[in-house]
Amino acid sequence: MAIAVLVPFTFVMDPASGLIMLGAIYTGAIYGGAFAAILVNTPGTPSAIATTFDGYPMAKRGDGDLAVTLATIASVFGGLVGAILLITLSPKLATLALAFQSTEYFWLALLGLTLIATLSQGNLVKGLIGGMFGIFLSMIGVAVIGGDVRFTAGLPSMLGGIDIVAALIGLYCLPVLIGMVATPDQHLEPAEARGFRLFEAIGISLKNWFNLIRSSLIGTLVGILPGAGGSIASLIAYAEAKRASKNSDNFGKGEPGGILATESSNNATVGGGFIPTLVLGIPGTPPDAVIMGALMVQGIRVGPSLFQSGDDTVYVFMTGLVVATLLMLPVGLIVGRYAFRFITNVPKAMLVPLIAFMTIIGSFAIHANPHDVVVMVVLGIVGWAAGRAGFGASPIVLGLVLGQIAEQGFMRAWMIGGARGDFLGQLLVNRPISWGILALILLTMMLPLFRMRAARRAAAGEIAREGAVAGPVQIDRAGLIGSAVFLALAVWMLIQASGLSVMAAAFPYAIGAALAVLSLLQILRSLRGQGGTNAEGGSAEGTVRGFVLAATMLGWAVIFPHLGLFATSLIACVLLMLTGQFGRLTMPRLAAYLVSLFVMVTLFYVTLDRVLNVPLPPALLF
Amino acid sequence: MIGQTTRRLIGAAALALMGTAGAALAYPDGPVTYVIPFNAGGESDVTARYQQQRFRDLTGQDLIIQYLPGAGGAQAWSGLNGINGDGQTIMGTNLPHIVLQPMLQDPGYATEDITNVYMFHFTPDALMVRNDSPYQSVQDVIDAAKAMPGGVTAGGSATNSANHVANQIFMNETGVETTYIPYTGTGATETALVGGEVDVLWGYTTVAVRQEDSTRVLAVATEERHPLFPDVPTFKELGIDMVGGAYRGIAVPASTPEEVRTELSDIIGKINGDPSFREQMEKDGYALIDVPYAEMDAFMAERIEAYTAIAEQLRAQQ
Repeated sequence: MAIAVLVPFTFVMDPASGLIMLGAIYTGAIYGGAFAAILVNTPGTPSAIATTFDGYPMAKRGDGDLAVTLATIASVFGGLVGAILLITLSPKLATLALAFQSTEYFWLALLGLTLIATLSQGNLVKGLIGGMFGIFLSMIGVAVIGGDVRFTAGLPSMLGGIDIVAALIGLYCLPVLIGMVATPDQHLEPAEARGFRLFEAIGISLKNWFNLIRSSLIGTLVGILPGAGGSIASLIAYAEAKRASKNSDNFGKGEPGGILATESSNNATVGGGFIPTLVLGIPGTPPDAVIMGALMVQGIRVGPSLFQSGDDTVYVFMTGLVVATLLMLPVGLIVGRYAFRFITNVPKAMLVPLIAFMTIIGSFAIHANPHDVVVMVVLGIVGWAAGRAGFGASPIVLGLVLGQIAEQGFMRAWMIGGARGDFLGQLLVNRPISWGILALILLTMMLPLFRMRAARRAAAGEIAREGAVAGPVQIDRAGLIGSAVFLALAVWMLIQASGLSVMAAAFPYAIGAALAVLSLLQILRSLRGQGGTNAEGGSAEGTVRGFVLAATMLGWAVIFPHLGLFATSLIACVLLMLTGQFGRLTMPRLAAYLVSLFVMVTLFYVTLDRVLNVPLPPALLF
Repeated sequence: MIGQTTRRLIGAAALALMGTAGAALAYPDGPVTYVIPFNAGGESDVTARYQQQRFRDLTGQDLIIQYLPGAGGAQAWSGLNGINGDGQTIMGTNLPHIVLQPMLQDPGYATEDITNVYMFHFTPDALMVRNDSPYQSVQDVIDAAKAMPGGVTAGGSATNSANHVANQIFMNETGVETTYIPYTGTGATETALVGGEVDVLWGYTTVAVRQEDSTRVLAVATEERHPLFPDVPTFKELGIDMVGGAYRGIAVPASTPEEVRTELSDIIGKINGDPSFREQMEKDGYALIDVPYAEMDAFMAERIEAYTAIAEQLRAQQ
């Protein structure tokens, strides 16, 4: 969180300019997440997860420039809607934050999880297994309810659980890196310089005007919900956009409407998140909390009185947010264009170490904790292996992001319902908002089922016409092995759960049982040849280069806290450069590569150590 | 790290040239990282931010705040002694957390592993209800809980936390049974109370100040009435023997030399003595305390004794 580091600068600035700076960085960071999501398939924040679904496929086919421009337009639009609602309707909308209780959070998390069904078109069972695995990952650590230590395998470093951002970087980015070194092809389709493709993008946006407005409203309203809003909003906006779209089959394959939906909604959450922060004094996201802290240090008391006190600072801040959002348009277009050109034109031997280094630094800088880096690499390897077996990364990520919200929401509803002697009333019957969310869940679930049935009927008709083709059954070996591993995990979960208190064990029992049943089902299906791969599953093959890359990253993560970040990174980058180099390496070229690597590592290191003041672990070298 | 060494060498050379012993200049040497074991926005973070500016005024060095949340603070505390013990990295610590966690589970550290240098404030427990609650007094809560054992829901932040302890002591002292509902962080508990999900809330005076427009305080767990809530009784006045809350301080890795510990303790003590700091803290509902490094052992021994009995009861519920 760069924003937290910059807070002290605002103490010496006058309150308004300091706050504008923080607001601008926050909204810029949410928007900036789109670049990594589109160009490298790596969401830097949970709010950019859904941007990868269509952004990366677009970039792969050479439309990365268009995708970035679309993301920019959508972000500016969404950001403006959020900011305008913040300025005009804050006190009224804040009541929404209070109307949503644990029960609603549970249903909302379920609504987000239904996206798994959408994402696992190739094989629903595998997608569901991935989702259960993600929920399992979310349960690692000290349980908030019950206080038990769960699934840490006795490692104190796992007590805090798995950091979501580190997991996102690993699960999405490492498979991409392994794929990059598997073939000599360029990472993205090379494209001729076509300018910003701004008019094309504006045209697409105009055609999607309703999608943009709906997604921005979803972003603002869901963004108001403290704690959950930021990550869930863009997922829901994506699911709704897909459901409503005429091209809904193209979603996940590079449909511009998908990018417009996620990017407009996630930037709308910025304004939305400030609503409970400023009106109720309840910050929605960690950056909101940082800004609230900065406000308090400036002597500004947030709360309902803020809007009646006549203190201009808060309005200056909101106006600043609007200006910052508008500025994203020119800045984003220019930066985006060069980022795309850079990624497509830089030779692979340079791109691989650069991206790898960014994943290491990115996961380290979250909490300055080397443990997060190891988690990132290990989950990345797990994600790659799961992808080989046809289990996509996105269901796992959805489970991880939404698992805790679902569990805590349900358990609290259970405890409160138990205390009041009316569990069902607490969970659903007496809660009209929950009815609404449940209706949306059913709607989202039914649609793919109808479509699937229609598709199956069409396929059946074809077979009937052409006569059944009785080919030999191909056993899905990878899927079989993967399901067996998940089955073993489920058994271990159930055994571990038996030693926990009731409150902490309820969800592990449910998830463990579901995982066991689903894994058994997939084992049978795999034996019968029903493999199937999730939409964005299917990792690159395991080549020797891929193995070297994974081993290098793992060694990097384990060794750098002891040897020192600079020294380890330099060695690892040279190794990865050689791994990413296909064909003969001439002497002058090698020299140029080495110099660039040295400059790159030095720049990142100095930024981390001197500019951002991230504390590095005490090490042998530096 | 080369830069730091060079800077140290230059510093040493300058001192030698001046011919001074320069003990006062020895610490801090460069920016100090202040690790907060929780997310931004909570009491630990806000008070650290209040100290930040004054630390710089006092020492000429930056105080950089880093968040390392996880496992109710255990994530950070279990790694404390792995940090370089040169005083350039310090960490916030909280009571009862660092006492209760090792008693109730294995959080990866023991209470003795944490070298507390200064305890600088505490936030008294407060029992709160929302404005339109039917409960006008603590007695109303007790009566309702008597009529329906376990039927009154009491919200609080996390399990085995200060709020959980407060609820347990309240049940012990009054003989009634309430259902404790844990949330992730104080912010979520405020939504739960104001939104009507729980009947009463175990918060601190700071929460009560922040939410004074939409909530009422029924009682505060201090010896004497809190200056910001002159009309609210203490639990003691009501015949309930309850004085406590969450204490916050600063700790260093065990390898930190004694002189640095004392120097740091002095700096924090000076910040605590700053009248503008006191005013800012008290206006928000914090109660300042001064437990410097020299008095830490006695203070911790007393707190550990107080929490041991409660830990037994909480364990029995698991």
